[in-house]
Amino acid sequence: MPRYAMVIDTRRCISCMACVVACKAENDVAPAHFRTRIREEISGTFPDLRAETRSELCNHCDNPPCVYNCPTRASYKNEETGMVLLHKNKCIGCKACIAACPYDARYVDPVKGVVDKCTFCDHRIAAGKQPACVATCVGGSRVFGDLDNPNSSVSILLRQHPSEVLLAGAGTEPRVFYIKHYRTPR
Amino acid sequence: MKNFCSRRQFLKISGATAAGWAMASALPPWQMLSAAEIAAAEGRYVATYCEMCFWKCGAFAKVVADKVVKLEGNFLHPHSRGVLCGRGNGGLGLLYDPDRLKAPLIRTGERGDGKYREASWDEALSLVAEKMGKLATDYGPESLALFTHGSATSHFFPLVKAYGSPNVAMPSFAQCRGPRVAAYDITTGSDIGSPERLDMANSKMVVLLGSHLGENMHSSQVQDFTQAIGNRAKIVVVDPRFSTAAGKADYWLPIRPGTDMALLLAWTHLILKNHWYDAAYLEAYANGLEEMIGQYDEYTPEWAAKETDLSPAVIIETAQLMAKNAPAVALHPGRHVTWDGQDVQRSRAIIILQALLGTWGRKGGIYLASKAKLPPLPAGKAYPKPGRPALNRGGYPFAGGEGVTNVVRASTLSGQPYPIKGWFVSGTNLLAALPNPDETRAAIKQLDFLVAVDMMPTDTVVHADVILPECSYLERHDSIAQLRGRDLRLSIRQPAIEPLYNSKPGWWIAKELSRKLGLEAYFPWQTYAEKLEEDCLAWDIDFDELKEKGVVLIPNSENAYIAPGNPPVFKTASKKIELYSEELELLDFDPLPRYVRNEQPQADEFRLLYGRSPVHTFSRTVNNPVLNELFSENELWLNPRPAAKLGLKNGDYVALVNQDHIKKGHIRLKVTERIREDCVYMVHGFGLQSERLSKAFNRGVSDQELISKYVVDPIAGTTGMRVNFVRLQKEA
Amino acid sequence: MEVTVTGLNALAFPHMHIWDWRVALYLFLGGLSAGLAVMAAVLHLRKNGELVEGEAASWIAPLCVPVVLGLGMLFIFLDLEHKLNVYRLYLTVQPLSPMSWGSWGLLAFFPLSALFVLATLPERLYGWLMLDSLRNLARRLTESVRIIAFINLLMGIFIGIYTGVLLSSFVARPLWNSSILPVLFLLSALSAGAALMIIVSRSLAAKLFFTKLDIFLIAAEMTVLPLFFYGQYTSSSAHRASILPFFAFTHEYLWFGSAIILLGVIFPFALVLKLLEIREGHVTALTPAVLFRMNLSAALVLLGSAIVRFAFVYAGQLSHYL
Ligand SMILES: Nc1nc2c(c(=O)[nH]1)N[C@H]1C(S)=C(S)[C@@H](COP(=O)(O)OP(=O)(O)OC[C@H]3O[C@@H](n4cnc5c(=O)[nH]c(N)nc54)[C@H](O)[C@@H]3O)O[C@H]1N2
Ligand SMILES: Nc1nc2c(c(=O)[nH]1)N[C@H]1C(S)=C(S)[C@@H](COP(=O)(O)OP(=O)(O)OC[C@H]3O[C@@H](n4cnc5c(=O)[nH]c(N)nc54)[C@H](O)[C@@H]3O)O[C@H]1N2
Ligand code: SF4
Ligand code: SF4
Ligand code: SF4
Ligand code: SF4
Ligand code: SF4
Ligand SMILES: [Mo]
Repeated sequence: MPRYAMVIDTRRCISCMACVVACKAENDVAPAHFRTRIREEISGTFPDLRAETRSELCNHCDNPPCVYNCPTRASYKNEETGMVLLHKNKCIGCKACIAACPYDARYVDPVKGVVDKCTFCDHRIAAGKQPACVATCVGGSRVFGDLDNPNSSVSILLRQHPSEVLLAGAGTEPRVFYIKHYRTPR
Repeated sequence: MKNFCSRRQFLKISGATAAGWAMASALPPWQMLSAAEIAAAEGRYVATYCEMCFWKCGAFAKVVADKVVKLEGNFLHPHSRGVLCGRGNGGLGLLYDPDRLKAPLIRTGERGDGKYREASWDEALSLVAEKMGKLATDYGPESLALFTHGSATSHFFPLVKAYGSPNVAMPSFAQCRGPRVAAYDITTGSDIGSPERLDMANSKMVVLLGSHLGENMHSSQVQDFTQAIGNRAKIVVVDPRFSTAAGKADYWLPIRPGTDMALLLAWTHLILKNHWYDAAYLEAYANGLEEMIGQYDEYTPEWAAKETDLSPAVIIETAQLMAKNAPAVALHPGRHVTWDGQDVQRSRAIIILQALLGTWGRKGGIYLASKAKLPPLPAGKAYPKPGRPALNRGGYPFAGGEGVTNVVRASTLSGQPYPIKGWFVSGTNLLAALPNPDETRAAIKQLDFLVAVDMMPTDTVVHADVILPECSYLERHDSIAQLRGRDLRLSIRQPAIEPLYNSKPGWWIAKELSRKLGLEAYFPWQTYAEKLEEDCLAWDIDFDELKEKGVVLIPNSENAYIAPGNPPVFKTASKKIELYSEELELLDFDPLPRYVRNEQPQADEFRLLYGRSPVHTFSRTVNNPVLNELFSENELWLNPRPAAKLGLKNGDYVALVNQDHIKKGHIRLKVTERIREDCVYMVHGFGLQSERLSKAFNRGVSDQELISKYVVDPIAGTTGMRVNFVRLQKEA
Repeated sequence: MEVTVTGLNALAFPHMHIWDWRVALYLFLGGLSAGLAVMAAVLHLRKNGELVEGEAASWIAPLCVPVVLGLGMLFIFLDLEHKLNVYRLYLTVQPLSPMSWGSWGLLAFFPLSALFVLATLPERLYGWLMLDSLRNLARRLTESVRIIAFINLLMGIFIGIYTGVLLSSFVARPLWNSSILPVLFLLSALSAGAALMIIVSRSLAAKLFFTKLDIFLIAAEMTVLPLFFYGQYTSSSAHRASILPFFAFTHEYLWFGSAIILLGVIFPFALVLKLLEIREGHVTALTPAVLFRMNLSAALVLLGSAIVRFAFVYAGQLSHYL
């Protein structure tokens, strides 16, 4: 069974927002709502500045508080693929999952009145495509694949470079990994 | 960014963006669709190429129930390689922008007051034809000028030429690449091309002078740049602002604006002095090294450090690095290079460095263009010879074929050398594109007639006497794009859906006008699809394959790099790179780039800098609902120290007053360490004044309105625009 | 550090705003009904039911429980984004979701509190019961009123804790993510319940009894509240930052600063009033002045309890890690 994950190479992200726009079109995300975002952090003072740019999305956590807090089992973890998904027809819109997610990855769809979030584009995966944001990532920063396949690009990247997850301390065991620097000295 | 929108607003555009709406509406509303069900609503995919900017990326439009629901990159296309940028993805926002021009409009009020009435195509086109006819009798056909940019050019350029005017002008020359085109022409005999043939994906070092790749978003070029980052190439970014690219750099050189020439000359000095140049390469392919020796002695790093406000050490270090990594150094020539009126010479300084390092034709430097050829198309009816010589180059020796917009504008104002009385404007927003818009407005006042072909009621468009609504690139055919890079590929644009509203393709507008003007012989086909098919026949291309795949490859066996039997071709007089330009010398210009100091701001002034947002293309996308959502108004970047001195804080609104006392209000401050203390920066394209643009109207400030001063480059006639200084005033 | 985020949901920006006054009100009313159920049960269980004699609160208080609870549930229902699906709550049990066991708990609590109403309703009011069978049931229940009271007491404590656990289970929200929060909410629910008892009860004995009880509860609450802040302060930086809104006293956090000041005034003031009452060595009849004082201090406690819910619901949503 595939264990899907995303690896985000922050060095290569040039905050172009292509992923953000593509995701919205692909997934019919309502205006002013987003399933993925770009975070730019600049530290230091002129002229000694450092920048980090990264995209963020649902981490498809292996220990997902959003799922645990859902009273109707509308939010669930697909045990086969590891994707954290939603049965929208079961959602009452109580927003407990939103409160439970440390990553602010969820939102209420103002039109459908149910909660929504990144699905890892499961419908595209099922059709043999890459997630929309990955397919259109100009910087080649977002990489998607199967952790169980040692030859997948995610596995290779994770072997090659040190990686981290966001808010490791929250104990959510994310499946989105960030590469912030490369292993071999530059 | 902060953006809240009402439900009603949402419903307006939701139909456009919704991937599964067609399906969704067939189901009871309470039954939520899962993404998988949405995917089941498989649409058809139509191959086309993007027109959200001029890079022409290959795309597929996914169409479900006559709605374009998604755009995707075409893998076969060398400019997109399967990837679309944010704007490319946001093409849907243009297609379904509720503010689009929906029917031909005829002016009813004063020019510029925005009062129009709807008209039929027949009436509108008859009026245009009548005016053009009158113009030809009153002043001669040369008195009509065509301002154009982008795909529309291929329809209206032939029309205007057939009508008898040679006076075409595109902002892509005099406000953009002009100086670079001229400099390459002078130095290497041919341009570096668009896409620039930089081999960044194989470079060991990338040097950017003001090229803010990432914010300057040309898909494949940015892909190459991030590939270079991934390859751990050394990145040097010279920019007064900590751009996105600077954030990726090993060396950020926060140069004093307007002093890049000093840095380039110091680098040249070091390379010459230390014999870091590629002697064998120069021996084989360049002329003028001897003449250079001794000419650069004064340009020491210490001298340049004072000019540029950089340290001598960093200048030396970066020069050393270039020498070490040569020839796999991608020294970017820049694209929008109309900075200070000395732009051809600065471009030449870059090209000379490229040559000294031996990068032209070398792996990791500049690859060679494919020499693949297409059979010529059968000649159409010959255009009439204009009665008077073209005025659109203004006598500048290296003004290019794209014309010099500012020269045409000046002739309109002065009536010299002969009057320009009519403007045909398609695909360019002159008020945003040309410096000193007051001059543009004054010129417009002089006109007998102004017709605009556009999709959006932008500022220039709402000055027109007749507005002809073109449909968007997703609803029409356009000419086949010839993409010459490592190989030659052809790419097709074809409609994904029928034109919305009462809009029409550019080709149809041109052809109908030609009929009314009695010029239909120049448009000898019924539909553009028919013409494209004929072109393909002549080129021996499978039209069906092109339609289906969007791209076809013209096979050739060229090598991208210099190799035995694959020498570089320089179309200069000497057939070599001309480091020292006798051509320029003959025309009384400096044969070698020299340093002339630019004016610097007063103590309380800031140099006005501008650039790109990755999600916008100039003024054309500001109203696009999808992109506007991400970036709805431009901000003024200001360093915290001057901000503190002025008592300004992040988020304050300020007005700007330039050296000519032009005041433009209401721009939000972004107080940031990311910029030097002597300049301010904003994204170009905002502050639009057309009230018909509901999302863009009066949002942010137009850099152009503050660029009342510009310095014309005497070599190419191009307009240096980063020569304006502003003071800041706090607003309530 | 300069941080720019493009693509934040309106919900999370400028501050996350998942839950609003409806949820705060629900937590307050839910807590109040729970506290009231406990206190009503105590009334019935205390001193072998001595306090019940001639005390209208013995049936009014139980009657208030489902009413207040129903009102509270109405507000949480109003907060649901997809009300049509609400039945889904009862097609599954999610032991990890406090929202799930809360909804089941409320489902159980409601009929139990109704039984309590029937069991305590005086016979002269049986006319209110429309059906004979209801009247019979009421009559029979009256016999086991103390068992029912006891069950309601347990149920009340459960619901009282649940309203706090609901928030404290969110690791993502450092302000809420404290095990002291359920204790605080329970204490606050109980003291609110006692306060309401003071208002609805008639007899001096009952009033005094609940006043004494309330003194302990308020004192406990006043101990736990600073402990809570202390715990947050000494915890992770996110936890520490989470209490900032209460102590920053800036324009941005005006409401939270005011809430803290208010609580700092209300509780001690109510406490002093109550201490005065029991100190006074009471006269036989309640003068209007004494009555006013008692009701005032009770009202203050109720207000304080509401402020706690509102302040915590809103401030918790400002707190996060990223
Ligand atoms: N101050 C300042 N001035 C600048 C620049 C700058 O950075 N700062 N940049 C310069 C550069 S590099 C350039 S290339 C120029 C660009 O200058 P322009 O090409 O004029 O740029 P836009 O402002 O995008 O205007 C494009 C116009 O074409 C319309 N349009 C878009 N697509 C179509 C189409 O398919 N058909 C038709 N008929 N119309 C269409 C749009 O609605 C809009 O009105 O500006 C130059 N001027
Ligand atoms: N997203 C997006 N991408 C685009 C376009 C677009 O509209 N939108 N337009 C396309 C077109 S037509 C063009 S021509 C290109 C233009 O793209 P570039 O050639 O990269 O653009 P410029 O406007 O020259 O550069 C702006 C940068 O120059 C810096 N700068 C300002 N003054 C100086 C100086 O004195 N010295 C140095 N070294 N740097 C300076 C600014 O801080 C800013 O970072 O972009 C293309 N790409
Ligand atoms: S990121 Fe948030 S929404 Fe996604 S699985 Fe983790 S907790 Fe759930
Ligand atoms: S809002 Fe929907 S998905 Fe989220 S916890 Fe409630 S029922 Fe579950
Ligand atoms: S995987 Fe799909 S849903 Fe998730 S952020 Fe990317 S495009 Fe959006
Ligand atoms: S598309 Fe890729 S490079 Fe662009 S912002 Fe998104 S993650 Fe970054
Ligand atoms: S770079 Fe972006 S906007 Fe330009 S053509 Fe390509 S996809 Fe379209
Ligand atoms: Mo340009």
